[in-house]
Amino acid sequence: MSNVKAEDTRREGFDQIGKPIPRKEDARLLRGKGTYVDDIEIPGALHACFVRSPYAHARIAGFDLDEARGMPGVVVVITGHEINEWTNGLRMAPPIEGLLPTEMTTLPVDKVRFHGDPVVCVVATDRYLAEDAAELVYVDYEVLDAVASYEAALAEGAPLVDETLTTNLVSHQTFEAGDIARRKAEAHRIVEAKFAMQRMTHLPIETRGCIALWDDGREHLTMHIGSQAPHPMRSALAGRLKLAEHQVTVASPDVGGGFGQKIIVYREEITVAALARHLKRPVRWREDRLENLSASLQARENTVRTCAAVDKEGRILSLEAEIMEDFGAYCFYPANYLARVIGMILTGPYRIQDYAFEVKIALTNKCGAGPMRAPMAITSLVMDGTLDAVARELDLDPAEVRRVNMLRPADLPYLMPTGERLEDVTPSECFERGLEEIDYAGFRVKQAADRESGIYRGIGICNVVESTTYGSAFYKAAGIPGSGHEAAWVKVEPSGSIRASAGLMGTGQSYETPYAQAVAEGLGVDAAQVDILLGNTDIAPYGMGARGGRGATAGGGTLFLTALDLKAKMLDIAAALLDLNSASELEMKGGKVLRHVGGEWSETGLGLGDIARTAYLDPLKLPEGMQPGLEMHRAWDPPQMTYSNATHICQVTLDPATGRIDIDRYLVVEDCGTVLNPLVVDGQQQGATVMGIGGVLFEHMVYDESGQNLCGTLADYMIPTACEAPVIEIIGQHTPNRRTPAGIKGMAEGGIMGAIGAVNNAVNDALRPFGVVADRQPLSPDYIRSLLRGAAR
Amino acid sequence: MSKLPIRLTVNGDSHEVSVEPRKLLSDVLREDLRLTGTHVGCEHGVCGACTVLVDGAPTRACLIFAIQMEGREITTVEGLTPAEGLSPLQQALHEEHGLQCGFCTPGIVTTFEAYLRENPDPTEADIREVLAGNLCRCTGYQNIVRAIGKAAKAMREGATT
Repeated sequence: MSNVKAEDTRREGFDQIGKPIPRKEDARLLRGKGTYVDDIEIPGALHACFVRSPYAHARIAGFDLDEARGMPGVVVVITGHEINEWTNGLRMAPPIEGLLPTEMTTLPVDKVRFHGDPVVCVVATDRYLAEDAAELVYVDYEVLDAVASYEAALAEGAPLVDETLTTNLVSHQTFEAGDIARRKAEAHRIVEAKFAMQRMTHLPIETRGCIALWDDGREHLTMHIGSQAPHPMRSALAGRLKLAEHQVTVASPDVGGGFGQKIIVYREEITVAALARHLKRPVRWREDRLENLSASLQARENTVRTCAAVDKEGRILSLEAEIMEDFGAYCFYPANYLARVIGMILTGPYRIQDYAFEVKIALTNKCGAGPMRAPMAITSLVMDGTLDAVARELDLDPAEVRRVNMLRPADLPYLMPTGERLEDVTPSECFERGLEEIDYAGFRVKQAADRESGIYRGIGICNVVESTTYGSAFYKAAGIPGSGHEAAWVKVEPSGSIRASAGLMGTGQSYETPYAQAVAEGLGVDAAQVDILLGNTDIAPYGMGARGGRGATAGGGTLFLTALDLKAKMLDIAAALLDLNSASELEMKGGKVLRHVGGEWSETGLGLGDIARTAYLDPLKLPEGMQPGLEMHRAWDPPQMTYSNATHICQVTLDPATGRIDIDRYLVVEDCGTVLNPLVVDGQQQGATVMGIGGVLFEHMVYDESGQNLCGTLADYMIPTACEAPVIEIIGQHTPNRRTPAGIKGMAEGGIMGAIGAVNNAVNDALRPFGVVADRQPLSPDYIRSLLRGAAR
Repeated sequence: MSKLPIRLTVNGDSHEVSVEPRKLLSDVLREDLRLTGTHVGCEHGVCGACTVLVDGAPTRACLIFAIQMEGREITTVEGLTPAEGLSPLQQALHEEHGLQCGFCTPGIVTTFEAYLRENPDPTEADIREVLAGNLCRCTGYQNIVRAIGKAAKAMREGATT
């Protein structure tokens, strides 16, 4: 029996896929009966607490741990001198041209590189006692000059963040397609623009944390830890702890948000695991909010300068982009990873072939950076913001400039200048629908009238092409190590009960319900019958985890294909039981086997239970050569990339006296292909859009010039509350992808890309009468006022 | 620091526990009483995940010591949940997809079970203003607001029938 092919599974009219089924996980979470890491009771577990650097950059001259060691309840106080003996460091040296190799130990022993760098671990019988003892740890520091910005890091004679390198420029790549010089010579105008996003952090409401259990008899580590990618985390843990993969189980319980922060294994978690093994006692750690804000992963902080050569209608003849990023002190990811994707997909839904980009990544004395929901977040702002800059300089309408550059249906499939293939996307359809829904022309009339009476309104458009599911071919093309495949199994048990698993783990994405729908669709049963098991590496197949927008396509798609394979086996069994030569006339629906005879479907009297019973308990009735049981496993590697697209349009009112921005209306027209569960998809898009709005208007991880983190509480690092979050109107007009199972494309990051662009573009539209442009975020009242004061002078 | 015996009334049940006077109510509920529905998100009173009811009023369990709670009635999400099924508010949150990761949810349930008792017919602006005391990073709040409005309506109709 051959596997069902993904491209053969797109069709009209699904039975289970596409239903707005409320979530399975809600019952336990609403009743307070979820199981997050810190809810797991482990008798006798010790508690770890980390002592962290108060400086951004300092040499460690020595430790005095005696007083802490003498405190009540303290079991061990330990530094990198021991931990680094028991564990391997992290070498980040993929074969990428222009990327310098880096290496870090589990805990630093020679110098600290950022405010919050962990240096000592205290383990005591409870968390309060561990924190008491941590207060009495003395570390002798010799303070060094710090670099706290991209510019400072690359200045002549700047202190080196990583002294094994000769520069802070840790990664530098270039790309060019077409003939930029020629296009510039032909151009009517050269338009330059700049876009800067501030440093941010993911801020899951549940901080990080873990429990390490070492079974000294079996020599086995069980790690309870909230993880988006349990299997890759297990491999990393095993490697860092000098264990074989089979000696580690990662068990991820309910997870209180991840957004990219809970993919990798961190130094604290390796330390906790190493201590559990050393002490032969369970050790647990719960990160507090100060640690989460200062020493978990951070993100964004990139600046992009563009230079567009344009003709009189605003048509882009060539585009150059300089992408710069402040990556912080340590490379937990390849430093080019995020910026490279921005470069690869920057041209989005526009017809551009002459294109060049340059990526420059600097190390600084700040917390390490990595992917955060929409790692390529700035992309759509840069592209649509550049078109707005063109419109401003040529005094054209911003919508018209988009229109002349936009890919039309006849242009598809379209090969972007980077070789990325755009197909089954609908940018012009979403764009035109958005303009119509929001009454763009009407708004312009009202805007002009209101300006006369001192009301400053703006409208911003952002056309998003969202890279959702990264296939292995994309990683290879982008020069980034990694696989894009996913794995799944589906089992029908002797009683007919159904269980399925995949390698992804949800951190709030609601996987359990849409995955049950994908499996149910494939098998021909009801979603309520399907139990989805995720997060435990002893149960789940080895898959690449939850990242990007791959949950539906890679996870749901692979489960759907696996279920289809299993259904084929079940129908073969049904054919044998019905004395038919083949199953070609049979189908399963609602758990019943139907037969197509005389142009009609009729019941055969056989059902899922009969087939399951036969497969397990009466195998002599199976077709010759068929193995007993109903278990199917398979993997699937998505196409190089799947793209969803959307148009975000936002209307704002700006108060020039205070710099306050109010969002009056927010519209999204979205095409994310076949939708597994529209309730979940709307929820993801609302959440992503509001997270993007938080980034544009409020969030800012502030460091001072000496590298001190100034955001230690949630009163300093502000995310949107219910009062700042607008209603997000969503219109779905979905086009299935032809290369993926069921036509799924994926989504959940595009909302961030769209919001970052639409809100910023709207504010710049409102600022137009003042002749100023906001080119960095957040668009705080302070910043807007500073622009307006400059304009007044 | 030595432990002291204290008596706590939680969800109608009386418990005797021995705790240090400095131990937070949130930690005592979670660790000593194993009521882990009360979540801890910031330990400085901003996120609202640890909200419980003290004598019926929403209170941050991370900002008070358990020892201060003697003689008071504490209610957690477990105490607001019917033995079977869901409360009207929980049911509305389920139907309207008003939760994603679910970590902030118990704090929202406790806050609005109390609020809707005193304010049975809130406007959307009222709901948003009260909800601003609970941070949610997943949902964008839209479905939570809708669910609370729906629950208020269901509770009003339930009260009149």
